Amino acid sequence: MDGLDERPKDPWRDAPAGAAPPQGTQDLLFEAARRLRRCESALARVFEAHGFAEVIPPAIEPAEVFAEASAGGGAGALRTVDRNGRLLALRADFTAQVARIAATRLSKMSPLRLYYRGSVVRESDLASGMPRERLQAGCELVGEADPAADAEMLALAAASLHALGIDPGGARVAVGTVGYFSSLIDAAGASPRLARALTDAIDRKDLPGLTLLCNREVPPGKARDALLMLAQPPRPQTEASSLLARAQDLAPNDAAAAALRRLANALHAAQARNLGAELEVDLGEVRGLGYYTGLVFNLYAAGAPRAVGGGGRYDTLLGRFGDPRPAVGFSLDLDALVPLARPA
Amino acid sequence: MITVALPKGRTMQAALERFARAGVVPDEDFSSTRKLIVPASSAQARFLLLKDPDVPLYVERGAADVGVCGLDHVLESGADLLAPLDLGFGTCRLCLAAGRGTGVANGWRSGESGAELGRSLRVATKYPRLTARAFARRGVPVDIVPLSGSVELAAVADLADAIVDLVETGRTLEQNGLVVLEELLQVSARLVVNRASYRLKLEELLPVLERLGGPA
Repeated sequence: MDGLDERPKDPWRDAPAGAAPPQGTQDLLFEAARRLRRCESALARVFEAHGFAEVIPPAIEPAEVFAEASAGGGAGALRTVDRNGRLLALRADFTAQVARIAATRLSKMSPLRLYYRGSVVRESDLASGMPRERLQAGCELVGEADPAADAEMLALAAASLHALGIDPGGARVAVGTVGYFSSLIDAAGASPRLARALTDAIDRKDLPGLTLLCNREVPPGKARDALLMLAQPPRPQTEASSLLARAQDLAPNDAAAAALRRLANALHAAQARNLGAELEVDLGEVRGLGYYTGLVFNLYAAGAPRAVGGGGRYDTLLGRFGDPRPAVGFSLDLDALVPLARPA
Repeated sequence: MITVALPKGRTMQAALERFARAGVVPDEDFSSTRKLIVPASSAQARFLLLKDPDVPLYVERGAADVGVCGLDHVLESGADLLAPLDLGFGTCRLCLAAGRGTGVANGWRSGESGAELGRSLRVATKYPRLTARAFARRGVPVDIVPLSGSVELAAVADLADAIVDLVETGRTLEQNGLVVLEELLQVSARLVVNRASYRLKLEELLPVLERLGGPA
């Protein structure tokens, strides 16, 4: 008997409260639950084979832990006050929790390779179709500042997709660096408001909008020319050298040049790890969680209408918990990946 | 295979001409078919015919790879999209308007922003999100009356103090005794692209994007 076929006796009456889970959450039943667990296991095997160990952080944290955990402040943590008057938040981001653990209990161990799986809860625009509770799995590498560590995480992210049975031909790893963009913002002397508008235009590849903004509000010079270049289409890694060379020519300061050199080194190291056609360079990858400081990347897979994962370098986040160590990591969106996956 | 979401209505012809220039031509004449999906087999593409406000969601959720949509609906939808091209046609303005000679119209001109009403300004619109944003930016409290059409009527029939709506020539406003108080947005047709399609189908999409954006 399908309950949906039953005519309601009174069309004006609402369903009893609690009859359905909150909007943006779901019940996973039977085969859906089995599929999720199979994918999680396949990922755990890959992570462990690469030397990562699992941590299971709590479902709630002091709200401060997630202060920087949302992209552009758009998707915040769901918060509550406990009986002692402490402001708590449901887990909105594993990376911030892992950073807290690494910076406190594990501060003597370096490097650290940690992985996690579970769900995060973020208040999002419900009309966007983004779930509130999102299933994730991911890895963090703490204590390594070298571009080789960036490459290790790029390669592991790609290997994770392969482990889920996603064909490398139908996957993309789009790589950029927030370091270049933030150096341009500094060089252009842009206000926080202008920086946000530029980020938004670049993130949307909105070249007309970006041109208008730059002409109106950014003084002519290298920084402006470089900003305009950021809305360009991505290049496959094999053809990226001309793009990077041009970006290097337009670099208005040492910080911008250094960010590009780091990116080139990470790409080179990724190539040595057999990351092939799926890797592409996109200097317009400027959107990410608020704490990213260098490399950023997003993962795409054929059949999913938005990114299925992403990550980046966050060299200042652990410092907030008292242990300033560099780190890099990524997370996978299992809500998007499980329907596509065919794990072995 | 590229799926293109096209808006039925006044911008469809201009959009079709632009896609024809990029080599994407529908197999059948849209005006003589009742099909909702029309293939363009020579270009390995197909067209979906939709209402303008629905284009952003079709593209955001991947039912179409690219779409043509007025900037008004792109922003109102809040959809997470790429918008690499301004197609230049379908130009109009999103405006705040009110009855000529009303307190609101006079007050707005002198910078009172509806303060003389002693309550929130009631604004009728098909664009609640853009309206809320525009008033929030000005720090003016607003009571939005969401409507689905004939928005001018709301100001004339005293449902609202003012309206936010598209203005092409301004003739409809004039005939109903309304005046534009402020222009909120310059609108034109934008090409929107799904974020994942842009990565995964870039080789197919780039030549089309280049020719769509190129000179006539």
